[in-house]
Amino acid sequence: MATLVAASPLDFDLVGFTVALTVFLVFFALAAKFVWPKIAKGLDERYEKIRHEIESAEAASRKAIDAQAEFEKRLQDAREQSARMIEESREAARKIAADLVAKNEQELADMKLKAMQELEGAKEGAVRELNEHAISLASVMASKILRREVAANDQQRLVSESLAELGKSNKN
Amino acid sequence: MTLDFAIPTFSHFADALPNVIASGANPLAHVLDKESAISDFLGFKVKLSAVSIVACGALMFCILCIAAKRISTGPASEGTGRFLTKGRVSQIVEVLVQGLRDGMLEPLLGKATAAYYMPLLLSLFFFVLGMNLVGLIPIGDAQELGFAMSGAGHGNAAEDLIFFGGTATASISVTAGLALVSFFAMLFQAARELGVKGLFEHMCGGKELLYGPKGLLLVVPIIFVVEVLGLFIKPAALAIRLFANMLAGHTLLATIFMFTGMALTAGGWGLAAPIGVISIAFAVAISFLELFVAFLQAFVFMFLTAVFISMMSHHGEHAHEEGHGAHAH
Repeated sequence: MATLVAASPLDFDLVGFTVALTVFLVFFALAAKFVWPKIAKGLDERYEKIRHEIESAEAASRKAIDAQAEFEKRLQDAREQSARMIEESREAARKIAADLVAKNEQELADMKLKAMQELEGAKEGAVRELNEHAISLASVMASKILRREVAANDQQRLVSESLAELGKSNKN
Repeated sequence: MTLDFAIPTFSHFADALPNVIASGANPLAHVLDKESAISDFLGFKVKLSAVSIVACGALMFCILCIAAKRISTGPASEGTGRFLTKGRVSQIVEVLVQGLRDGMLEPLLGKATAAYYMPLLLSLFFFVLGMNLVGLIPIGDAQELGFAMSGAGHGNAAEDLIFFGGTATASISVTAGLALVSFFAMLFQAARELGVKGLFEHMCGGKELLYGPKGLLLVVPIIFVVEVLGLFIKPAALAIRLFANMLAGHTLLATIFMFTGMALTAGGWGLAAPIGVISIAFAVAISFLELFVAFLQAFVFMFLTAVFISMMSHHGEHAHEEGHGAHAH
């Protein structure tokens, strides 16, 4: 049978008590010096780093949301600006087209007027030429009728008078 | 004593096992403190519990040192993995420390007081836990069986050759030593927080009784006696609770194995084998319970020490008085 130091579970052993107390105090002193500060520091540092990481992630998330809002705002502004520019371009195009039409009409009117003036001039020349020819014919016919020749100076004077009379008659 | 070892064989095992099993015929004797075989080498008597305390303390300190080194944040190159502690044992230590500190000590004592007493309380917890857990491992029985198989000791009983083993916390002497630490921690907190006068007022039931209506002074001596007794009863209860729980669990385990020894004596292996199988099944189940109890009792020892410390403060005094008031109602 084994050598029983304690005959009863409740037998108090002063050596065991002293050893337990001493060993625990040594364990406590060593752990308090080398273990617990290190573990507490490690846990606190980890907590701080995780908290910092979470805060950084939240800040980045907020920044991304702000950037998205800014981007959407700028996109909206760009859309509005482009719509405005398109409208302005249309307006300008309409104005240019109207100006061009007006200018063309003006040029056309000017050309028409010029053509009318040229036509009038040509008509007057033709009439004068016709009158001169008619007078010449009339002179020839008159000379033949009178059987005498009209001198060249008389003929010229007669032509001028006839033209003047013709002009008067046209004006009237 | 000289030890003469022989290489153990299966026949040695078969011869030794019945003797070892039969030696556990008295389950209480199996769990009681014994003299260590180291005594023969040292020249003075050393008990198994003393050797176990030293071994457990050294082992637990080594484990905690490794855990302390590993509980840290790694470089950023490791990604989110840098926040993980490497190693299972270190992770368990981390979870226990963080859970006890953040979930129990700080809410109970306040952040500053918890930080002050955390080294003591955590040391108590892990020291007791280490002894409880080592006690679950049948180191002494393994040595006994080994010596019985090898035939060492020249006729000495194999049980006399155990160097260390058993549950140190199943000894009232050991738990009393630890309870003394709790006792002095209580007194230290009282002196630190309340002062000598404050402690005296606390022991007399508080200022309301001492400086209140004169009629109440009659109950002050009674309260003083009760408080003084309480001051000693609290650590005594700690010591007895831990010792009794650990002793009871191991006695139960030894009793379960004793059935196999009884069957072996009564009917040989034919009877002992089936009873042994049933005993082992029960022992495994009880061992799981003992594992839980090992953690629970370590926690209870530390928790009650923290509670007693918290009672020795202004906050604790008020809570104590409120408690008295609640009891009065």
